Amino acid sequence: MSWEHFIYFAIVSILCWAYGAYAAWKNKTKTAYTFTGLGLLVFFAFIIAMWLSLERPPLRTMGETRLWYSFFLPLAGLIVYSRWKYKWILSFSTLLSVVFICVNLFKPEIHNKTLMPALQSPWFAPHVIVYMFAYALLGAATLMAVYILFFSKRKTENEEMEITDNLVYVGLSFMTFGMLFGALWAKEAWGHYWAWDPKETWAAITWFAYLAYIHYRLLPKSDVKTALWMLVIAFILLQMCWWGINYLPSAQATSVHTYMN
Amino acid sequence: MKEGFVIGAGLIITGLVLQFSVGPIDWSLFAWPANIIVLYVFLLLSAIIYTFRSKAYGFRFLATSTCAVPALVMAAALTIIMGLTAQVAETSPPADFLGITKMLSFWPFVLLYLWIAFILAQVSMVQVLHFKWRRLPSFVSHLGLLITLLTATLGSADLQRLQMYTVLDETEWRGINERNMVTELPIAITLKQFIMETYDDGSPKRFASDIIIYTKNGDSLRATVDVNKPVEVRGWKIYQYGYDTAMGTESKLSILELVRDPWLPYVYAGIYLMLFGALTMFIVGVRRNKQ
Repeated sequence: MSWEHFIYFAIVSILCWAYGAYAAWKNKTKTAYTFTGLGLLVFFAFIIAMWLSLERPPLRTMGETRLWYSFFLPLAGLIVYSRWKYKWILSFSTLLSVVFICVNLFKPEIHNKTLMPALQSPWFAPHVIVYMFAYALLGAATLMAVYILFFSKRKTENEEMEITDNLVYVGLSFMTFGMLFGALWAKEAWGHYWAWDPKETWAAITWFAYLAYIHYRLLPKSDVKTALWMLVIAFILLQMCWWGINYLPSAQATSVHTYMN
Repeated sequence: MKEGFVIGAGLIITGLVLQFSVGPIDWSLFAWPANIIVLYVFLLLSAIIYTFRSKAYGFRFLATSTCAVPALVMAAALTIIMGLTAQVAETSPPADFLGITKMLSFWPFVLLYLWIAFILAQVSMVQVLHFKWRRLPSFVSHLGLLITLLTATLGSADLQRLQMYTVLDETEWRGINERNMVTELPIAITLKQFIMETYDDGSPKRFASDIIIYTKNGDSLRATVDVNKPVEVRGWKIYQYGYDTAMGTESKLSILELVRDPWLPYVYAGIYLMLFGALTMFIVGVRRNKQ
């Protein structure tokens, strides 16, 4: 199994997710669950097949991490849908996932099997998978923020903010896991748990930004618009951490995370 | 929140004054026992602030979200500057007149993080002395971050990091630190074999050292040090660091790194608390928010 086969799995998954999203609009909850779940299963089958044929977890390259992100987005969407029955959430998560799938289809980063010794660690998979899941949840929270800020015609309801807060809480807890797993791994691999490597610096920034949001939301008088803008900014900072630093002159050649290139 | 930003701005100005008067912070001054004294002073001050919180609004203010938000925003801002500027090595002076190319020694940066530590201490004390189960995730996360922040920063001066160049069948007991100074170690190492495997394209798949470690009291221990699998002996962690890359699989030289960090158990205690906090936040936080 390789990237050549990706398109077939991707098309089947997208069709399933799209039908699931359509069913959600039509209030056919069961169909929405079934098809979104089915799409996830097909997509995950490809990830597993890649894993087996690469003989290592597909987590090393940007293309491979996008693969996980495309998987976790509909999963996060499904979780939110099952909990709050928002008709549109599956359409949103599918759309975003399709974007990442398209990037992988049109700009495939095909890589060989080699995995450098520093990455051969039991921490590797949990560190990256947990982060990708956090990114997916925080991506969903950002979608909520953008929806409420720019598209929602009604007055912002408490329920909408509650969903957003919950996504951030869960996303932040996963992000904390990812960051601390990284620290524990770094101690084993590089001798120190935190070295202010550019990726670590930006991870800290992103973490602070989401902490600022949740504390702002705890204020006795907080402005919804300001809070939502904070989420948008936090997500931009997250992009810096995720891939932006690859293009940052100050971070070149100094990061232990540059193998992501 | 305005007062929070004013305090932050005050700290930045104070920091700048200090930066220009006494120069960047020299963390090596915090070596034992200075760090433990600073820690006690910090805890004492925190206890005093807590004791008089009913008397002074400013002291109560420290434990509020209204205080946390500006502190987080400003710490993030300075960290963003750090992320955007190339940082110099720990051993060199800053490359700019302000000192932001050595952010970890930049007074305003350190003062803002110290302010966060004071906030965390107040929140932790409030939450433990007025304990409520629903605040457990919050309490554990704050306490964990406080412990991690304090012990990692204060302990950094006691961290020893040495490279040891071992040659096949020879015994070595000296290491070189970041400042290229040679130090004698309480342990000696003989390289018995350098192990290297490569992928088909020649890139390294595995490199490791088969070594014998001798300690001062006459014990010896045979071990294999792999990348990602350090060996621990008497408080020293021994890492596979490098080899003679020109020789590749034929290398007769193995570079080991020896790290001693006496504060590590406390840092880990903080990290585990934060992990527990994140776990409970995931489980409880969502429900609590629903009320």
